[in-house]
Amino acid sequence: MSNSYVLRRLLQIIPTFLAVMLLVFLLVRLLPGDPASAVLGDRATAEIVERTNRDLGLDKPLPVQFLIFVQHLLRGDLGDSISLKVPVLRLIGERLPITLFLTVYAAVLGTLLAVPLAVLAAVRRNTWVDAVIRAVFQVGLSLPVFYVALQLLTLLGARLGWFPIGGYGVTFGDHLYHLFLPALTLGLNLAAVLVRTLRASVIEVLTAEYVEFARAKGMATRVIMLRHVLRNALISTVTLLGLNIGALIGGAVITETVFAIPGVGRLMVDAIFGRDYPVIQGLTLTFAVLVSLVFLATDLLHARLDPRTELS
Amino acid sequence: MKRLSRATLAIAAALSVSHSLAVTRGGTLVYGRYADSLFLDPVLNDANLDIWILTNLYDTLLQPTADGKGVQPGLASRYSASADGKTFTLTLRPGLKFADGSALTSADVKWSLDRARKPDNGAWSSSLASIDSITASGSTVTLKLKQPDPTLAAALATFNAAIMPQKLFTAAAGATDADKAKAFAEKPIGSGPFVLSEWKKGSYMVLKRNPYYWQKGTDGKALPYLDSVRFEIIPDDNTRILKLQAGEIQGAEFIPLSRVSELKANPNVNMTLFPSTKVNSILMNNRPTLKSGAANPLSDVNVRQALNYATNKDALIQVVTYGTGKAMTSYMSSTTPLFDTTQKGFPYDLAKAKSLLAKSKYAGGFEVSVLATSGSADDLALLTALQQMWAAIGVRLKIEQVDAATKTARYRANDFQMRTAAWTNDINDPSQITTYYAVYDNVESVHTGFKSAEIDKLFAQSQQELSRVKRASDYRRIQTLYANAAPIIYLYETPYPVALSKKVGGFVQIPLGNNIFSGAWLDK
Repeated sequence: MSNSYVLRRLLQIIPTFLAVMLLVFLLVRLLPGDPASAVLGDRATAEIVERTNRDLGLDKPLPVQFLIFVQHLLRGDLGDSISLKVPVLRLIGERLPITLFLTVYAAVLGTLLAVPLAVLAAVRRNTWVDAVIRAVFQVGLSLPVFYVALQLLTLLGARLGWFPIGGYGVTFGDHLYHLFLPALTLGLNLAAVLVRTLRASVIEVLTAEYVEFARAKGMATRVIMLRHVLRNALISTVTLLGLNIGALIGGAVITETVFAIPGVGRLMVDAIFGRDYPVIQGLTLTFAVLVSLVFLATDLLHARLDPRTELS
Repeated sequence: MKRLSRATLAIAAALSVSHSLAVTRGGTLVYGRYADSLFLDPVLNDANLDIWILTNLYDTLLQPTADGKGVQPGLASRYSASADGKTFTLTLRPGLKFADGSALTSADVKWSLDRARKPDNGAWSSSLASIDSITASGSTVTLKLKQPDPTLAAALATFNAAIMPQKLFTAAAGATDADKAKAFAEKPIGSGPFVLSEWKKGSYMVLKRNPYYWQKGTDGKALPYLDSVRFEIIPDDNTRILKLQAGEIQGAEFIPLSRVSELKANPNVNMTLFPSTKVNSILMNNRPTLKSGAANPLSDVNVRQALNYATNKDALIQVVTYGTGKAMTSYMSSTTPLFDTTQKGFPYDLAKAKSLLAKSKYAGGFEVSVLATSGSADDLALLTALQQMWAAIGVRLKIEQVDAATKTARYRANDFQMRTAAWTNDINDPSQITTYYAVYDNVESVHTGFKSAEIDKLFAQSQQELSRVKRASDYRRIQTLYANAAPIIYLYETPYPVALSKKVGGFVQIPLGNNIFSGAWLDK
């Protein structure tokens, strides 16, 4: 793994970034309805809508609008939110950490749930233990996120009172406590994906010749599990987590609404409904960069865990 | 149903009287909102999300009464109009202060109203358009009018006429009025019962009591009773209700009407249906041809009346509003001043609907399409019920679900045949809804394309009519003409459903929607 590889990959993000930028710029303008109408509502007269569009620079030809957008971007300015009238950069700065916290939390919970259960299911494959684990997660995968969220809220939040219903809290401990149910909701969904794949790869490793050989050498089962099986399980977990990061952010949109968490997922939904172009553009670019970075990190980690991987 | 909500109100009123002898001071009321405010400037914004907070922060010279039908003194203790109706004089209360302790003077009033009536400033400047000039001297503010204006008192009691501190606003950062407004709205200072102390956008907002507020409580000390109100943003209806049930919040707005009866049965919750000015209707495109060039059956008044008679409002009220609504008999709500109680609306009459349709070119029925907001359970329940009702006269209703921004865009382009719509008044006067619904020149009668020379004339006349009796008769005629032309489908009025903890007293949401926290208290 060389530094030049990392640098090359980082530079590759730039064209991706540009393409996403142009695509999003055009896509949001293809949507029916303009920001002025969305902000002003049904009642505004045609003149007021026109004046607002002029004030926002939306009466200019598209290429001019795009140039202005790029110019601002080069100065590190994503523009102001049309409805909230504050800089988009500030909005993202305030809300992104919350969503990242939730995503990482969910990934950790999902992994902690999935890895031991997948290994257990693989070791006891084709027994009732395996059947139960697989069935539970199969159901988990087919339930919609909002439904699971509401059930957890009703049971663990309202009925038993173990966790607060929604909100985010102030301190780190608060965050862990408040975000437990939403993170569990997302984590369960993620675990369902992980268990299936992990179980298969653990079975593959368990029946591999080198494991048979190690067993024949008289190596303790615990050592085999740690040295060979878990290492392999970890490789596929990392890859799967990386590939599922987009799904996690997508799931966050729903959980953030149900659990009243002020993250970027909800910001995006509000921005789309309000046709708040600068916010949609800014958030999409942020997501593009984030996903690119996560993919890079996944590849690097994969290489670190599996020496056979060649980075080029 | 009406009787029921009246009874609820009567009980609430009785409770508040017995309680007012021993109101509790202090505490924080946590209130769940479905969405956050956007921008807290009274002149440059007019979303309900903002208005309902603005009225807690900024005070107006006059105020709407709690029943939403009249006007009472606010910052001005007295007001009077000259005999010719062309001079309006207001007297400010002595010793008024803004929330930072600085004095509120008649110069602030002149400046605020001048800013609010500037034609380039916001969608609401027209409500003060009759003012020709303003002079301020001592505690007296004199408005010279271009013509007599019976709506002026109500306009001065509306959010956009809020009084702001001129010095603090002009000292705010920025070169233009809009820039200064942005800076000022981050930390607004007004003279309302509360002042903004913390705002984490999309998450929560804290309003602290304004220690300089002029109004006194029943205990003789300054209002408000509460130390603070904390608004938590909880977009999901179920979550808002769960949080209330768990005691994490003490109030929740926009309770789905389907959950009202369940919450009424909860001993810890005071489920209240505040009367509103909300009218729910279906707008029809009245033009002879549609945007696509196709002929439009809805251009025939017989067809429009037939659809109205074929609409079983009582059934819809049960199915869609779970019994909480009330049939519309005028285009304006029954809580609007000058609502004509003699209006009959369109009682369900299938035989009449059939005979009206037979008189039209479409005796054999036709297909009509309606725009609905996607994801709105209410729209879907309403329209599927209508599908069945109208099928009885051979009309096939096609439902087209689109998101709100698309719906607005198509509506604005007159590119629709029918659409679901709701309206609430912002001002205590029938002129607002009338300019939108019945007068063509403003927004083509809510884009229906309906135009009546007689209504236009009557309306213009009523806008300068100082005699309330004559004005009422103008409005009676307008409401009758409108019903005869039936440019919309008359549906139902719905209340504001607010669920409060039993510990909360004195909270009111007036028919205009304003949330009044100044007289609210919290039992310990």
